[in-house]
Amino acid sequence: MKKYLTLNGQILYWLLVGPARGQPFKFFQVIRQMMRIGAKALPMAALTSFSIGLTLAMQGAHELRRMGAEMYVADLVSVSLLRELGPLLIAVIVIGRSGSAVTAELGTMKVSEEIEALQVMAINPIRFLVVPRFLAMVIMLPVLTVFGNYVGMLGGWTICHYALEMNTATYVMRSVEAARLGDLYTGLLKSLVFGWLVITIACHAGLEVEGGAEGVGTATTASVVYSILAVLVANAILTSLFFFT
Amino acid sequence: MTTESKPVIEVTDLVKKLGSRTILDGINFTVNRGDTLIIMGCSGCGKSTLLRHLIGALQPTSGSVKVFGEDISRMSERELTHLRKRFGMLFQSGALLQSLTVGENVALPILEHSRVDPAIAELEIKMKLELVGLTGFEDLKPAEISGGMKKRVGLARALALDPELLFSDEPTSGLDPVMTAVVDQLTKDLTRKMGMTAVVVTHDMTSAFRIGTRMIMLGSGKYQGKIIAEGTPQQIRANPDPMLQQFINGLADGPIPLRLSKDDYIQRLLGIPSRMEQK
Repeated sequence: MKKYLTLNGQILYWLLVGPARGQPFKFFQVIRQMMRIGAKALPMAALTSFSIGLTLAMQGAHELRRMGAEMYVADLVSVSLLRELGPLLIAVIVIGRSGSAVTAELGTMKVSEEIEALQVMAINPIRFLVVPRFLAMVIMLPVLTVFGNYVGMLGGWTICHYALEMNTATYVMRSVEAARLGDLYTGLLKSLVFGWLVITIACHAGLEVEGGAEGVGTATTASVVYSILAVLVANAILTSLFFFT
Repeated sequence: MTTESKPVIEVTDLVKKLGSRTILDGINFTVNRGDTLIIMGCSGCGKSTLLRHLIGALQPTSGSVKVFGEDISRMSERELTHLRKRFGMLFQSGALLQSLTVGENVALPILEHSRVDPAIAELEIKMKLELVGLTGFEDLKPAEISGGMKKRVGLARALALDPELLFSDEPTSGLDPVMTAVVDQLTKDLTRKMGMTAVVVTHDMTSAFRIGTRMIMLGSGKYQGKIIAEGTPQQIRANPDPMLQQFINGLADGPIPLRLSKDDYIQRLLGIPSRMEQK
């Protein structure tokens, strides 16, 4: 835990103070990591969000039909996606896809002495390896979340349009009216926090790997498990802060 | 900071314990400018641990390690970074960054630590790769070249900033005899002509006697972690110590405890602590 907090401190140092002292991180590395962590997760994020939007609308329609309130399916989909499911789902996808990859990559570098080689070359591994991944994650997770929200609403629309015969304009209108701008912002703030947690846990697990290929495997599992736990707990805390106080 | 007379490396009473095991036990030696120190010893006798102390990657349990006259174990991260710019290190496995090409690996220290024009950096990379006979391999990934080639790229990278001090962990293992001679000649030229200091861990006795100006041998068994012999190559060759002679001549029979006596063998099989461990 202490090492984890130290890592957080070091990341902030190399992100904010390091560049001012003439030791900047590499900007093109950030772009490269944004491609790997974010852009390449787009198809998966789209598929998941679409099917969740679809499912939400179907479940909603099933229940709301009994009260003759099918109109509210749009509200249901947009509010639950923006506030809860969007940030959470995308975070889980990114943990499985990118968090695990970061742990495995850094862990392999650790066991093959690459990290030590960097240190001996007087290149700080936090600045060189961790900061670009950190930045990429905290930028790309909210971006993916916005994208996921759109695609999820598209999924909801598919049901409303084809099964409930609601017209597109009504769906859009209702969605926009139901959700406040605040819902979008809190959702994005959530995904920012999730991104921070996921990438710091992943990097920490990777840098602390001991003991060869098996160690890399164990660390990757631990990284995924702890990330999911941390995200779920953080989500509960944030929801209680935003909507329950 | 450094003067000609001061030793480049000064190790005093270095002790390292990991748990209850003593890895290094009262090591003392100095390395002067232009020297090539060879560290010999059986596998597991603490050579790599000793090397790790010299580069500041491990902290001694007691004793001190001074590099360029400054105690490396008491340095802040910042001072250590500054110091490390003055030395190069060749890892046993090469330790190249797998995600970068050969050229980018060699370029890494140059681009990180000196503000040179990219065109000049490129020229420097070519020169360093030429030194180790790898011109034309710039664009390959480490996974696409052989183990011996990786090691040579590692050497080119270690030499990228023209270090004052070079650490090599088994520089010639995995190299063919011709390439071994080339790498040895390179080390020799750099130390004899350019005044670089080198610390080389090696099992290759031919190469050790070719490049070494001073040699130390670490003991194993009951001499674990102690220096059992020290001197110039001539002194080492003339040293009558049977363990040393067995090692430099590569003999299977001798005092180095590999072959057990019948009694020891039976005792070890039955799980009775042997005489040596009881001691």
